[in-house]
Amino acid sequence: MQKKSKVPLMRSNHLPLILLGAVMTVYGLAAALAATVLSNQAMRGMIAGGVYKARQTAFDQTASLVAGILLLALFIWCAVASKGIVRVGFCFGAMAALMTMLVGRNEMLPVPSAFSGPVIAILVALPLTILFILWACGRRVPRGCRWVAFISIFIVLAAAIFPTYVILMVSKIPPGDPAILTVGKLVDVSTNVIKLRYLLPGLSFLLIAYLSMRFARKNPAMPEG
Amino acid sequence: MKTQSGEKLQFKLILLLLASIMILTSCGGGKKPAPTVAPSGSETSPFTGLNLSVPDPYNPPIEMTSVIAVNATVKFTEGNDINNNIWTRAYRDLLGINFTYKWVVDGSMYDQKLGLSINSGDIPDMFAVNGSQLKLYQESGLLTDLTSVYDAEASPNTRDILTQDPVALRAATIDGKLWGIPLTDASVATASVLWVRQDWMTKLGIEAPASMADVLDISRRFTEEDPDGNGVKDTFGMCMDKDLFGAIGGLQGFFNGYHAYPGIWFERDGKIVYGSVQPEIRDGLLALQKMYASGQIDPEFGVKDVNAMTESIAQGKCGMEFGVWWNPYHPLNLSQANNQDAYWQAFPIPSVDSAPAKSQYSTAIGSFLVVRNGYEHPEALIRMVNFWTDNIVRSQEDAVRTVFLGDIKNPDVVLYKYTPVVLWEPNASIDGSRKLREALAKHDPTGLNNEMAWRYRIIQAYFEQGIKEAWVEVATNGPNGAVSILEGVLGDYGLLNRFYGPPTPTMAEKLPTLQTMESEMITKVIMGDSIDLFDQFVNDWYELGGTKIVEEVNQWAEANP
Repeated sequence: MQKKSKVPLMRSNHLPLILLGAVMTVYGLAAALAATVLSNQAMRGMIAGGVYKARQTAFDQTASLVAGILLLALFIWCAVASKGIVRVGFCFGAMAALMTMLVGRNEMLPVPSAFSGPVIAILVALPLTILFILWACGRRVPRGCRWVAFISIFIVLAAAIFPTYVILMVSKIPPGDPAILTVGKLVDVSTNVIKLRYLLPGLSFLLIAYLSMRFARKNPAMPEG
Repeated sequence: MKTQSGEKLQFKLILLLLASIMILTSCGGGKKPAPTVAPSGSETSPFTGLNLSVPDPYNPPIEMTSVIAVNATVKFTEGNDINNNIWTRAYRDLLGINFTYKWVVDGSMYDQKLGLSINSGDIPDMFAVNGSQLKLYQESGLLTDLTSVYDAEASPNTRDILTQDPVALRAATIDGKLWGIPLTDASVATASVLWVRQDWMTKLGIEAPASMADVLDISRRFTEEDPDGNGVKDTFGMCMDKDLFGAIGGLQGFFNGYHAYPGIWFERDGKIVYGSVQPEIRDGLLALQKMYASGQIDPEFGVKDVNAMTESIAQGKCGMEFGVWWNPYHPLNLSQANNQDAYWQAFPIPSVDSAPAKSQYSTAIGSFLVVRNGYEHPEALIRMVNFWTDNIVRSQEDAVRTVFLGDIKNPDVVLYKYTPVVLWEPNASIDGSRKLREALAKHDPTGLNNEMAWRYRIIQAYFEQGIKEAWVEVATNGPNGAVSILEGVLGDYGLLNRFYGPPTPTMAEKLPTLQTMESEMITKVIMGDSIDLFDQFVNDWYELGGTKIVEEVNQWAEANP
């Protein structure tokens, strides 16, 4: 089997990938921050439950639309600036960007939010998972990038599936069942996991960009991807 | 051979020793059981290992007969029936009371069957009665005075639970003596709160209602400004139905905003007066008339029952209702089921002026446990009540609750329905909800019981995981939820019906007719008839028996300060 030579992810420069990672990270950070602040206010009784929901929905709808458009543009830019399996990965990423715009618009799906939220999370996570699988398998992808992509597969999947799993468990526990004490601890974990849904993949993209840039610097003779 | 006979001798000696030990052990009975018992009986006893607080059981056991009402929801596991179940076994094994039912009847037939039974002289030792029966049977000399046995036997938990509702024991007291044990529940749960579609308020930029003027304005805007955004003027500001004063869409909360208290008795100028004939009712009626005229109330409310109104709520046609704290469980949940963004927020009843409005409510005491006159062990009832309050109401042990209330995995079998001795803690939901809100504020559910821990997680799922269906718990038990409003009702923002006794003679005879007159008058005025109808109704009310009823109620109040 012919051994293929490694090449950086981007053909000319890594700016689009860095911007992609940065936008995803900032969006993830902002979403996590807004959710934390609003839920803290609501749980302390500073704002009513309905007011909380209205503000959270307004934030989600606006932020996800802006982030979705930016991510879509950046994924396309990245696809244009790359080739091969990396480009295919970015194309799948563009689908995740489209799905991002659905966040906060659960009512568009004709199912209860207990299902529509996880469905949207999985719709976002699946293209990203495919992206990372492709990169992890790409033999021309630098070794460090492949490892980060490999780890990111599990991060993205876990962030999408684990909270769904926990909510399904909670929904099956009737009031008064002591099982809630055990599952309750998982709820605490899953609420934090939800906040990492965009933050961690964003950081993965930034790390992959860094590793790819380092690879390009260390191997100047290598033709770029 | 020698060895074999030696072994036989040793075997015989061991048998003799064991037999001696068994005989000695069986002779050594009569010890007083510890307060926390591992109850007698075989090792398979369901009470073994339970941490229960019980007195010394009767020895020899006593007999107690009773009667009970059941309905289709009373179900048994295999091998159990109404005379052989966990409660009859508990009374027998733990208290030494052989408890049997003389008869079992459907709930709708209970009063009639009890009357027949008593008239025929077949009186159970202990049974449940309503307020009228309590008075009737006490006057007939059929009941035992429980004052002394209550004083001697009631446990601190029993006393606490029976005094949480200020009128519970008073309702069971006649001529200064206690004739029954009131079956307590949460009276304040009947108090009205205002439910408003928060999502519609947010959409139209409306602030929380602080006065009745705000309520009227919200109602108008919900009607005129297409809050559901479908481009059709098909929404009503406020829900109500032909029954007028139900727990869903009831007008009592609306009238309370005008300091009017329909259907209850309260003190005014040193006298007890009937709320429905007070002048404040007129202001509320005029406001409702205007709302109806401008399309803010369903024009067909006069023929729609609560089910039809529920349908309007489910379809998102209505944005506000005066109801009770549990309305999100039904029917407001239907609204959210059809529209994920629907969110009903509870508000305290706003006032028409600067004086705070008071939400009216009545005592939840509807039944009493009594003991027949001549029964040798009236204190047994108090012991049964103690058993319930000490071990069930105040116990958070899962094992105890599972054995006596039911297994959570088999929710259709509700074990406490097998016994008439069921008292609920009046302030339990309010206290529990307060602890829940404190835990939510701290993000720490430590110390909550299993039920509240479950509610904590459901509310957390709403606030931290975006599960919109969890809004029901948020709106009821969450921060700023309806139960938090009831705390205020228990304080300065509530008005408890002053009359909690059995119907007076004239009341029993005339009040149903007078109430029908009242409903007809209210419906007519709302639908556009002259407000003079109200004045006419007041005159008629007094003339057709009201004067006598007021007199009787005031006499009762003097005897029951």
